[in-house]
Amino acid sequence: MNCEQYRESIAADPSFDGGAGHLAQCADCQAYRSEMQALDLQIKSALVLDVPELRVPDLPEIQADNVVSLNSKRFSPPAWFAMAATIVVAALIGVRLAGTDITQDTLGEEILAHLDHERFSLRVTDVAVSDDRLNAVVPKDVARMDHSAGLITYAQSCPIRGHDVPHLVIQGEHGPVTILLMPEESVSGPESIRGENIKGVILPVGNGSIAIVGESDERLDRIQERVLESVTWST
Amino acid sequence: MQSSENGAKRRQRFDQYVAVYHQDMYRYAAWLCRDKAIAEDVVQEALLRAWKSLDALRDEASAKQWLLTIVRRENARYFERKRLETVDIDNLTASQAALLAEQPDDELDNMRAAIYELEDDYREPLVLQVLMGYSTQEIADQMGLKQGAVLTRLHRARLQLKDRMARL
Repeated sequence: MNCEQYRESIAADPSFDGGAGHLAQCADCQAYRSEMQALDLQIKSALVLDVPELRVPDLPEIQADNVVSLNSKRFSPPAWFAMAATIVVAALIGVRLAGTDITQDTLGEEILAHLDHERFSLRVTDVAVSDDRLNAVVPKDVARMDHSAGLITYAQSCPIRGHDVPHLVIQGEHGPVTILLMPEESVSGPESIRGENIKGVILPVGNGSIAIVGESDERLDRIQERVLESVTWST
Repeated sequence: MQSSENGAKRRQRFDQYVAVYHQDMYRYAAWLCRDKAIAEDVVQEALLRAWKSLDALRDEASAKQWLLTIVRRENARYFERKRLETVDIDNLTASQAALLAEQPDDELDNMRAAIYELEDDYREPLVLQVLMGYSTQEIADQMGLKQGAVLTRLHRARLQLKDRMARL
């Protein structure tokens, strides 16, 4: 491999790890490689845009859309039938949503109450909890969590809805961010949490959920991404 | 009862994908169309389409690629419906300009402007590689190109960015 070939490869993919023999002998290509890797960091930072709050569109009832009639004659309901059906469907959706709201508020409120109770967990610090502590609070038979979520500065097993769950705190850009791993607490979709000067979200993950709560101006989307990548349920 | 349970499971599965991949979908859309408002529309359409065709997704591991492919198609559909004029970077709408000036950081803004000005053919593989973590073969599959063509585009994209940043 010569300089031109090496530089083409590294510019196409700065993580290219071929051409080690050439690289070891060519200071210019070593410098070029460093330059390209630095450029890539800049590119990545520039590409990461703020993401607006998620708006899930109204989703149609999928059964109705997917029904394929095998009969050549289709049933054409009269107008009154369609209207009655619409009312029934709307009522059912209303009941379902009402039920969901009750569940959301209860879990969200319980989380907020718990955070209020454990305010001391929200310390700004750069001292991480030990691996032993983290392993004790997040037992391997419950979940596996690596350190990619961020600097974990608090770990405690806490009761949420009758279950002891791992309560962790990582340091965000604007202050401490609370993470509750709740493998037995299922939610039907992402749920917002709002409290005084704090905001958060409860995310469905497998059969459980993870709550992430930080300061109102915290970039939770970035933390959310890292947390979801760092946690795997064992159950 | 069975049907309603299936419906709930289906919705739960969909919500999980959305929770995990919504950000990637939005950022990909935003860099494809270079307009935040349009990106939101594209993501909305993509979510709707994903919901309708969720049962076609058999392999959970390919969910991200599947969703980004839907975003790509919805973006193309959007521009088929509304043929927009060529964008002049000195004369942007508020929604386009918002993409370039998210944070008060000159260097970041300059890089964003440089990426913004890249041709679509160069910008898209770069986004897929750097932001989405795609391999060059995966980019080739996504864009319907040969791997060699992807490597060339990535190489040129970086050289252009390097050159533009050096000139500032």
